[in-house]
Amino acid sequence: MAYSDKVLDHYNNPRNVGSLDKDSDAVGTGVVGAPECGDVMKLQIQVEGDTIVDAKFKTFGCGSAIASSSLATEWIKGKKLDEALEIKNTEIVEELALPPVKIHCSVLAEDAIKAAVADFKSKKNKDE
Amino acid sequence: MADCSACGAALETPLGCEACGIVLESPPESGPFDIFGLKPTWNVDERDLKRRLRRFGRIVHPDFHMGDPAQQALAETNSAALNRAFEVLLDPFLRADWILERLGGPSEQEERQMPQAFLMEVLDWNETLDAAEGAAADSPERQALDRLAETLTEERDARMQAIGRKLSPLPERGAPVLRTIRQELNAIRYLSRALYRIRDLRYGAGEI
Repeated sequence: MAYSDKVLDHYNNPRNVGSLDKDSDAVGTGVVGAPECGDVMKLQIQVEGDTIVDAKFKTFGCGSAIASSSLATEWIKGKKLDEALEIKNTEIVEELALPPVKIHCSVLAEDAIKAAVADFKSKKNKDE
Repeated sequence: MADCSACGAALETPLGCEACGIVLESPPESGPFDIFGLKPTWNVDERDLKRRLRRFGRIVHPDFHMGDPAQQALAETNSAALNRAFEVLLDPFLRADWILERLGGPSEQEERQMPQAFLMEVLDWNETLDAAEGAAADSPERQALDRLAETLTEERDARMQAIGRKLSPLPERGAPVLRTIRQELNAIRYLSRALYRIRDLRYGAGEI
């Protein structure tokens, strides 16, 4: 199976690789995994007000999983939390032209966004 | 099990008849235990399995059916089914996976959420692996990798044993424990994947 140019681009030049301080109240961390292949993905967001001002990821997995998380961080930067939650895995599939066997990689990225937002919200609720 | 449709002898495997040598079309719902003439159970006797594999393998060996194209084609299908069934029964992971499915337990997809703490651990293993990649054989990074390999192997064995205890005797259909077993199997997948990466790295470094 050949990877699409967009997957290769994100794989070779991943955007926003790295970590944010997971103990900071302004940071939400989502860690998700795909048992069928053992891939694991960490996605973090830095939030000001209700806007995502920065996003980082670290993914151990195949090219499609790396590309999906790289694209996800690009998309959510500058978005409001609610807008980020609206991103659907199907949009990632379409943008990266993922083949059916790699759809679970995009699901992983969507789950990671949701987990990061949920983590941020739970921290905020604890403070209030 | 049914009797042979050709000679009436009692069948030990749905794949064929040892008495008259005919290859049979086995019912589509035949699972690995049926194929080996056994009742589903967690504990399998490896020597007994191998004996049955040899005996049944002879019945369905395509070379013994060269005069009859239809029988030979069926023999090829049944040989593949026999080998696949053997693989599933011998491998604890595949066996547990099959039993779980048969008991109506959740699939890998249905029970995919792992505890955050576990996934953080998986991230840590991968960090250790990445650090060890390209590091010298006696470097601290490589020593950390060796320790990791040991820990992960122990954890995988312990989880497999825990699964074995939960499956003997087999739980009821749809029992809540099936969910726990699926989570354990998922954890083993992550462990195996990391151990595979470690082997791969050592192999690349010419150590094994």
